[in-house]
Amino acid sequence: MDLKNEIKDGQIAVFLDSRIYSKAGISKCLYWYSDKFNISINIIGNHFKIELKPNMENQKLELEIILEKLVKDFLDFNLRQIVTSETQNVRDLLIAKAFSNGEFDDPPLGEISDPVGFKF
Amino acid sequence: MIDSQVKKTRKFNSFEKYNGALNESNYHLMPFRFHRLNKNKEIIVNEVGDFLIIPNGTFQKIVNRQISKISDQELYGDLIANFFISETPVHPLIDVLATRYRNKKIFLNRFTDLHIFVISLRCEHTCHYCQVSRVTQNKDLYDMSIANIDKGIDIMFRSPNDHVTMEFQGGEALLAFDNIVYAVEKAEKIANKKNKSLTKVICTNLALITEEILIYCKEHEILISTSLDGPKHIHDSNRTKPHASSYDLTIEGINKSRDILGKDHVSALMTTTRLSLDFPIEIVDEYIKMGFNGIFLRNISPYGFALRGNKSKYETDHFINFYKTALEYIIQKNLEGLNFVEDLARIFLIKILTPFNIGYVDLQSPSGLINGVIVFNYDGAVYATDESRMLAEQKDFTFKLGTLDDSYEDLFFGEKAQEIAQIWANESLNGCSECAFQQYCGADPVHNLATQGDMYGFRPTSDFCQKNMEIIRYLIDRMDSDPKVKEIFENWVSNFNG
Repeated sequence: MDLKNEIKDGQIAVFLDSRIYSKAGISKCLYWYSDKFNISINIIGNHFKIELKPNMENQKLELEIILEKLVKDFLDFNLRQIVTSETQNVRDLLIAKAFSNGEFDDPPLGEISDPVGFKF
Repeated sequence: MIDSQVKKTRKFNSFEKYNGALNESNYHLMPFRFHRLNKNKEIIVNEVGDFLIIPNGTFQKIVNRQISKISDQELYGDLIANFFISETPVHPLIDVLATRYRNKKIFLNRFTDLHIFVISLRCEHTCHYCQVSRVTQNKDLYDMSIANIDKGIDIMFRSPNDHVTMEFQGGEALLAFDNIVYAVEKAEKIANKKNKSLTKVICTNLALITEEILIYCKEHEILISTSLDGPKHIHDSNRTKPHASSYDLTIEGINKSRDILGKDHVSALMTTTRLSLDFPIEIVDEYIKMGFNGIFLRNISPYGFALRGNKSKYETDHFINFYKTALEYIIQKNLEGLNFVEDLARIFLIKILTPFNIGYVDLQSPSGLINGVIVFNYDGAVYATDESRMLAEQKDFTFKLGTLDDSYEDLFFGEKAQEIAQIWANESLNGCSECAFQQYCGADPVHNLATQGDMYGFRPTSDFCQKNMEIIRYLIDRMDSDPKVKEIFENWVSNFNG
């Protein structure tokens, strides 16, 4: 099967490698297109097949420009999702510390000492 | 022995001691978000609103671990210092970041400050964009009763905030001035007893202001807030008063109020209508002419009479163009030496450029409703915000929390409040959760319901989202492209300390 992005019969079809693009990233990206398009997502082998069909007949949409933007947006949202996934635990820790009363605070780093060397 | 110890500790250590092992690109990501600023640049923003503007493609390199500690030393240093990356799985200064995050959300700790008392629904104006269903007769039916004033004041002083604001609105608040006097004097006694600071504000069109009222306001340090929509032809077109010019009365009232109260105790707000959109410069000039230090360029709220008829419907794009034209004019005036502020920009800039947040309820997350403001209506109903009272005038009571007969706990922490709390943080909303401008923006479930039919909202068609994203992007882009504009914007926020 030819997995090339295309515009056919007034509809956009995009193929994304599921080993590179995450479902969450794709969904978050498509959210921003769901006002103007009816969207379907299917899996064909190792690829997501995403189809966007304008949801109103008289819409004047330049599908070539939209396809170009959509491909860039998929990349952007995929990167965002990588950051979100990798930093989830740190973010949870940050917010827990922010809303705690100090019970999650670590003691200061390093040794506490008198650096000048005076002794009392 | 002491000498050798002193020598040892005063030795300057090498750069490598502090720089750790100079390993290439083995850093860890910290939480942050990304947006395309313009054709050539991107912006990344961390959890407390610190931002970096970087060339296109840099975000991808950061995520793919392609930033080198050696060859990209300056960028690498900026990323570490601003908590975008860390050399350890958990940044060593995470407690500092957590403190800063706590500071950004400190308004939650303080809780409700603004208490709006709708002292009367009566009004002698007929402003076409009025968000209130005005009535002109029947004082007993449409003025707040003494019993309800007492209950409202009691609830107000239950707030844990050390400072509370009592704001009288209408209709036209001065039509019930006797009740304002009663409320002010009662509240002042309680504020003294409870050692809380109390700010009092009357929102009025100034048509009914007298010297006697102003002397009273001076004695009790009451601030006056009025409406000035622009030059006469705009103001009078928006705000119709039978047999008189609302503009003339407003200007006369502003001058009279300033003579007695002082300039700093009188403020004005404008409301943008379709007519206004064609006159951004003239509206700014009117505020400059009247000696105000700034102007708040607000768009029309989608509530009340404002929604009825074409006079007040317009596209968000049109407003954004109006806003940018007015802002550029204001910037030009600042460059010519006039210190004049645009208040909406200032609110965003405080969030962007300072470690603080500002108590503007429409741009907070969690939302400012209940947390920052509460409304006591003339009939004893309690609403989450001013706008939700206006929705109620259209028979939508979604944000009615109860009545003044309910307990404080039921109103502020009851079932209705809990329902709203599920969707009042933009950190958890579709579209907002990934947005780079999340920390600069807020959540407005009332606006979502009024414009889109549900509290959660739908960001792709949200005018709140479209407007805020573009204004924030524009402010940051202007600062980045012109150091003089950056200096002006920094001046606007320099005296804000939380």
